[in-house]
Amino acid sequence: MEAKKELNAVGLSCPMPIIKTRKAIEELGSGEILLVLADDPGAKEDFPAWCEQTGNELLKMEEEAGVIKFYIKKK
Amino acid sequence: MTEKKRLAIVVSENSLDKAMMPMILGTTGASLDAEVHLFFTFWGLFLLKKDYKPKLKGMMAPFTGMMVKQMKSKNIPGYSELLEQARELGVKLYACSTSMEIMGVKKEDLIDGVEVLGATAFLKIAFESDVTLFI
Repeated sequence: MEAKKELNAVGLSCPMPIIKTRKAIEELGSGEILLVLADDPGAKEDFPAWCEQTGNELLKMEEEAGVIKFYIKKK
Repeated sequence: MTEKKRLAIVVSENSLDKAMMPMILGTTGASLDAEVHLFFTFWGLFLLKKDYKPKLKGMMAPFTGMMVKQMKSKNIPGYSELLEQARELGVKLYACSTSMEIMGVKKEDLIDGVEVLGATAFLKIAFESDVTLFI
């Protein structure tokens, strides 16, 4: 999966990962993919909820050594 | 995708903890594409003053530094940083006109971009909101 942009939010706590994601996705075009790395304890629930509410598509979510990767396709 | 939401919050206190809540919820709400309206009243009004740094209140007051340090160590942004983010994200900030008179606060004491509103105008916004909170 080719991400157009990567956002490293590791080490950041709520609400910063979501605020930064919101800002980052604005720089992408429709259909392009944003990869977000986060390790906030709430991230696993927050990112799917954010995608559902904003209409952007969560393509994949994978966890590796405590860091979760979210592949988000811009609506 | 769910439809666009509207969130209205009354901010009535100026302690550090009560200052963080509307900022976290407000910036998150705006990030969720919601229209966010924050109405600052009574003590909450002080949060809109230029360069204001909220502290813990009462018996907790001596622990302000400790909490700020703890927040910093967890990479949680401070009050002024979140306020800045809120403005960038288009969160609407309102100062309660009656509170301004009671607390002796003038428009020029407040940060830029704050709108002065009366209770009626805010309630009109609240009536048309999906979520209303009181902090």
